Amino acid sequence: MKSAAFDYVKPGSLTEALGLLAEAGEDARLIAGGQTLLATLNMRLSEPSVLIDITNVEELKGITLDGKHLRIGALVTHTEIEESDLIAKHAPLLKAAAPHIAHRAIRNLGTWGGSLAYGDPAAEWPACSLALNATMIIHSPSGERRVAASDFFIDLYTTSLEPDDILVATEIPIADSAQVFCFQELARRHGDYAVAGLAAVAQKQGDMLTQCKFIFFSVGATPLMAGKTQSWIDGKNLNEQLIVDAVKTAREEIEVIADLTNSAEAKQHLVGVLLERALKQMMA
Amino acid sequence: MELNGEQLIAAPIPEVWKGLNDIDVLAKSIPGCEEINRIAPEEIHAKVMFKIGPVRARFAGKLLLSDIVEDQSCSMAFEGSGGAAGFAKGKSRVELKPADGGTLVCYTTEASIGGKLGQIGGRLISASAKKIADDFFQRFAAELGGEIIPLEDVPTEE
Repeated sequence: MKSAAFDYVKPGSLTEALGLLAEAGEDARLIAGGQTLLATLNMRLSEPSVLIDITNVEELKGITLDGKHLRIGALVTHTEIEESDLIAKHAPLLKAAAPHIAHRAIRNLGTWGGSLAYGDPAAEWPACSLALNATMIIHSPSGERRVAASDFFIDLYTTSLEPDDILVATEIPIADSAQVFCFQELARRHGDYAVAGLAAVAQKQGDMLTQCKFIFFSVGATPLMAGKTQSWIDGKNLNEQLIVDAVKTAREEIEVIADLTNSAEAKQHLVGVLLERALKQMMA
Repeated sequence: MELNGEQLIAAPIPEVWKGLNDIDVLAKSIPGCEEINRIAPEEIHAKVMFKIGPVRARFAGKLLLSDIVEDQSCSMAFEGSGGAAGFAKGKSRVELKPADGGTLVCYTTEASIGGKLGQIGGRLISASAKKIADDFFQRFAAELGGEIIPLEDVPTEE
């Protein structure tokens, strides 16, 4: 199948892109890597009147270190993240997660900002951005605003982005030497959407983990933070019993939604499996 | 696909029943409803624009009501076609029960979805259906001037 006819524009600056988006309204779609959008267009599941290609907008590019923050532009591709030295040093969770995203060809084109703005509950970047306390930098015709990742993902495929907003970049506090992390996902084949996944980050002090963040993805309508489990683990000496209790807490608190091939019970079980593996890996 | 759920709405049963049977209320409550007409007392036709994630699909469908017991329950069969995007059909049963603070609306739905939407959307069909149902009840409760009460906050009598 081929897509329905649409107009195509390629603005050269952020101001121009925002203007075009405001003018065209809900009938326009932004396109960057196009790894989801193009498939949708070709299936005729969506028929926008105009595509605004933002790949020439300089303000959306590049990974930079700015004091205590790493700034990742919306147009940065998954492969760039996978191969970046700055990411490896200051946000190693992202480097660990990148190879799990689909396949090489898709990682070469798909973008950081595209994945976040799309808000697929099975995607890796929304979960990682929550685990790393990321801040979304959003521009609209009325100016810039900043939204914490925890306020950004609202519901299934729904973020706090308005129709005339462009996600410009994300700021992530850089990792210090006490940071430990684990990225795990369970998928039927490598590159498939995960049946369940976990992005975990904490500060390690001796036998203790503090400032824990456990974000489960591909189990609900958005990535889900295991708040009770985090407080349960936080600041306690980690031993077998604590892990058993934490696994139980996580299975109770994460509200999973079944999909066509995996029951809610199966996903709930996997939540515990992932957490146990992550805790053992983070304490190793 | 199965979708079962219950929602507590802060309005008395007769009002909820009237709302569920009032196509003007339904028009405002169904997310993306563009057109709704009652063809016969037990047949309703509607056009709905579904917007979920990357998908924008316009469905034209009809709803047939049966086993109507006023202020208590009814069954409905529905089918809709979204052209190239796919189709959906199924049946649903709705029951209203008295509850502390309002009316408990219980529903069970069995639906099948086919075509392109079924092929590529299968992974998130259940989550999407739940979101549409939640949106519907939120708008519906607002139309009745009440609100949805989170079920955890309700003292159970059992």
